[in-house]
Amino acid sequence: MDNELTSLGIIFTEFYYWVTVVFMFLIHVGFCMYEVGASRYKNHTHTLMKNTMLIPLVTVTFFFFGWWIYFAFVNGPWIIGPLVDAPWATPWSELMGTHMGGPPVQDTLTGDDTAFWARINGVFWAAFLLFSWTAASIVSGAVIERIRPSAFWILAVVIGSFTWIIDAAWGWSWNGWMVQELGYHDAYASGVIHAIAGGFALGILLVLGPRIGKFRADGTPRNINPHNPWLVTIGLFLIYTGFWGFYVACNIPVIDVYGSAMLDVAGKSFFSATNIYLQPTTLSAITFNFLMSLSGGLMVAYIVSDGDAFWTYSGGLAGVIGASSGNDLYHPIQAMLIGGVGAFIAFKMHYWVERRFKIDDAVGAVAVHGYAGFYGIVVAGFMLWGYPSSPFEGYAPITPWGNFIGALIMFFVLGFIPAWIVSKILHGMGMLRIPREIELVGLDINTETQRAVEADEVAQAVREAARSGSSA
Amino acid sequence: MATGMVDNWLNVDTFGAIYPFVGSEGFLAIVGIACWIIWHIWQIRKENAEFRDDIDNINKQGGPGKILDEEARREMEDQIGQ
Repeated sequence: MDNELTSLGIIFTEFYYWVTVVFMFLIHVGFCMYEVGASRYKNHTHTLMKNTMLIPLVTVTFFFFGWWIYFAFVNGPWIIGPLVDAPWATPWSELMGTHMGGPPVQDTLTGDDTAFWARINGVFWAAFLLFSWTAASIVSGAVIERIRPSAFWILAVVIGSFTWIIDAAWGWSWNGWMVQELGYHDAYASGVIHAIAGGFALGILLVLGPRIGKFRADGTPRNINPHNPWLVTIGLFLIYTGFWGFYVACNIPVIDVYGSAMLDVAGKSFFSATNIYLQPTTLSAITFNFLMSLSGGLMVAYIVSDGDAFWTYSGGLAGVIGASSGNDLYHPIQAMLIGGVGAFIAFKMHYWVERRFKIDDAVGAVAVHGYAGFYGIVVAGFMLWGYPSSPFEGYAPITPWGNFIGALIMFFVLGFIPAWIVSKILHGMGMLRIPREIELVGLDINTETQRAVEADEVAQAVREAARSGSSA
Repeated sequence: MATGMVDNWLNVDTFGAIYPFVGSEGFLAIVGIACWIIWHIWQIRKENAEFRDDIDNINKQGGPGKILDEEARREMEDQIGQ
């Protein structure tokens, strides 16, 4: 940090990620509003707490082991190589605390590495952490009103600090084995966040079962409408807002593409933003494509849902998610069309799966995130066929089959299967679903009863004061 | 008495970790992980007790059917009152 230009680059990067974290916080505000709006009156407090408490639990576990997994598991481990040393990311590392970047903390780190991680570690960790919250929060909405909070929080840690960050190590890092061997390309996380979270939610739902009253005796579904659709739509609007931070956090803000031991072209420099694979892109490109894919999703969802507010907003999300894998490279009109198809698939698949398999996905999370995310990865494989997946030599190019295998890994291998196994274990221990009597009357039965008693007492006191003329 | 190694900022370019008790990171990691696991155990016990209380409360009020009937009656009264 003794050179103005180097310092400026590092401190700008530090500030850049910090700003993305603030924006992404809004995703969680949105999810909380959305879930409370979608749940029925007598479940509000527990619904809110279920989502809120995933924040500290995923945060501390992401500090203890999630961050280390991201760097250590890029080879599988033992798919293409061993565990990788990541001394800056262990919970006992000096670089996981307030550090001025002085002498190297251990032999495997250079002075430059130490100076870099001293500044970047916390903000980069937090940017990934906010993705972790998002993954867990996507799942939270699908299981409202019948999952035990304790079970959900265990599952939130599984996806937030374990399975999603394994998928990021494998397919969302510059040296992940899926990028090297499959040419997997998923620049803005159609798969690494959305498909995995959708698959994870589906794995839980299959074991958890539907809410009481969701299906008629003949098996046809009833609509359980949000108790407050306006809260739901404001929540979704906030998720859109936070999505800007999410997109920007997927980039590295400024790097010399020729000078980062990648292309190794002597005497040349090209400073650019890159995606997580260190491929050049621009904020301008992703701004075009974010808005155009959002618009495509909104337009199609409005038509197919007959102007239903909940599905129109959700369709906007499905549009962005459907195009996100390739939104670093698509033309904006391609992004719009791909986003529109994503919204169509999410809407149709949600109702088809609900009717056919009696799956009660309370907020359409499996559809909007899982199916649209899966589709997004697959379509990027076709659209970007033949593009290099990395600036490094020897990596597989992007192909339809590479991305299709990647989509299966995200949705099923790291999403559906772990969730199904953990849910089965929790179910076997009687810890997955709330007792039937409580589900019937609502999770907040005791707090609501207590509030009613207290309100009656206050009202009684006010009446007595009015009668007696007392000010007490 | 000093909890950290910083007693001035003259040589900040040579500083590494500057939080108090540098060297205790391994111990802190063990304490942190223990706190996390204990929190889950405590919360599960608390939740079990809460659900037992909820079920007692429901039974005292005549069971879920009666509570739901009473709730429907109150809602009807509120609507008529409005």
